[in-house]
Amino acid sequence: MIRRRHSFAYNLIIFVLAQLVWLAVLLLWIYWYVKNNIIFEQVGENISPQIVYDTPSVFPFVGGIVLLVGLSFSLVLIFRHLNIQMKLTALYDNFIANVTHELKSPLSSIQLYLETLNSRDVPEEKRKEFYGVMMRDAERLKNLINSILEIAVMDKKKFNKELEVYKVDETIKKIVLESAEQFQLNENIIKFSGDAGCDVLLDRNSIKTVFDNLVDNSIKYSVLPLEIEIKFRCNSKKAEIEFSDNGIGIPHEEIKKIFQKFHRIYDKDIPNVKGTGLGLYVVKEIIKNHKGKIFAFSEGKGKGSRFKIELPIYIEKKKFLKGNKKGFKNE
Amino acid sequence: MNETQTDNPKILLVEDEENLARGLEYNLSEEGYKVSLAKDGREAIKLFDENEFDLIVLDIMLPYFNGFEIAKHIRNKHPQMPILMLTARTQIEDKVKGLEIGADDYLTKPFHLKELLLRIKGMLKRKHWYQKVVIENPIYKFGNNEINFENLKCNNGKKEFQLTSYEAMIIKYLIENKDKVVTRKELLENVWNMNPEVETRTVDNFIVRLRKYFEDDPSNPKFIVSVRSAGYIFQS
Repeated sequence: MIRRRHSFAYNLIIFVLAQLVWLAVLLLWIYWYVKNNIIFEQVGENISPQIVYDTPSVFPFVGGIVLLVGLSFSLVLIFRHLNIQMKLTALYDNFIANVTHELKSPLSSIQLYLETLNSRDVPEEKRKEFYGVMMRDAERLKNLINSILEIAVMDKKKFNKELEVYKVDETIKKIVLESAEQFQLNENIIKFSGDAGCDVLLDRNSIKTVFDNLVDNSIKYSVLPLEIEIKFRCNSKKAEIEFSDNGIGIPHEEIKKIFQKFHRIYDKDIPNVKGTGLGLYVVKEIIKNHKGKIFAFSEGKGKGSRFKIELPIYIEKKKFLKGNKKGFKNE
Repeated sequence: MNETQTDNPKILLVEDEENLARGLEYNLSEEGYKVSLAKDGREAIKLFDENEFDLIVLDIMLPYFNGFEIAKHIRNKHPQMPILMLTARTQIEDKVKGLEIGADDYLTKPFHLKELLLRIKGMLKRKHWYQKVVIENPIYKFGNNEINFENLKCNNGKKEFQLTSYEAMIIKYLIENKDKVVTRKELLENVWNMNPEVETRTVDNFIVRLRKYFEDDPSNPKFIVSVRSAGYIFQS
């Protein structure tokens, strides 16, 4: 962090100095031109007042200034670009550190349990518990690796998922309950309301990733006993799924940034510091690839977070017209 | 350093990865240690302030207060408390920072269970040895220097300063073996409990630091003298 700030300040100073040098050259040049011109005029008049004095061409002068301004402008552009690159590199370094941590934690856990089972006489009951832990850690590793691979695909703007038709409320409910089970959440924590019997085209695995990430965030960013509420609604064009929790919420200035790749909120009060900064980016990209939209809301810090997902409704006629062969799947 | 340690040493385990924490807790309990588990920095500091421990196993990336902050807090209150840092971070700066703040040892994740248990055992053994020799003779003077091995405060005639527990253990070991050549291997094995083939540079770095503290002219030492291709000897 410190090194980054230092190099930014360093670049800024160099940049400002370079601009000042250009400006100084320009001013000197103007001064020199004007002064010489005056002397030349005076000398010319003294020697031979008869000669009609012709003003020298201003073209090189004006041209020079234009070129200088152009040069200066391109420097500004290069400087801006460089800064963006630097910020990205810093974010990326941070991301690598976070991913390393996220990969090593479940791996260490699996290794520890394997070595324990290998070297100790573990009672049958504990043995079962340890297998369960290892399986959950393996699942965690798989999810992380998948989301990293998914990012690579998303960056290439390719989306070749298995889209099928699902009923919104039923399917999402099932998916969320699966996530809850995976994170060992009590089912009562999640409340569903509203109904949305409309159909949407979904890639079930991707949508599962969306809700895995949202649930995971709710768990990470909550201090009170967790409560999640999911509301469904359909209108003539779109299905709305509203996901809200009673977590620590999102500070106002961060709302716009939370969907950015690698972006993470650092706050002393946030009880869990783990993560890759990919979760909500992946969520947004998946929803985008479903031709949907996602919005984040929060009344501020400490007041919970709310995510509204809008997905276009699938109308069967379209399927017929476009000759879509995908089947109707009702969960 | 061959004395047996007291029964059931108490370990404060600070780890926020629940699965890892539970596995460690199980293994440490099986080894006969009494384990208290803290899942974040706040809990760790609270537990440390309210209880007596023999050793701390400390993760670095933690909620509320990170491992470095906790180590600092522990060091201020208890300069000799053995701290084993356990972390996924492998950058050399982290290791240096950890050891500078006063962690006594550092293991990176994923680690081998046996290695962790051996290190903990070694650290407790050293702590016990150190406590025993300190009770016998807490203050030691040589030249203009005075070391209090109980609170690790030193005075070199010019200023007062504080040793880390490792620095104290090394100088104590050298003093215990006064006028005898102590090899790097011996120091690594007895003070660090490390494989001597790996890091003999570690010893040299600590010796450089100790000379800066206690020698009038560190480049021409009088007390902690190098013995060519053998090791070090303490003379006073």
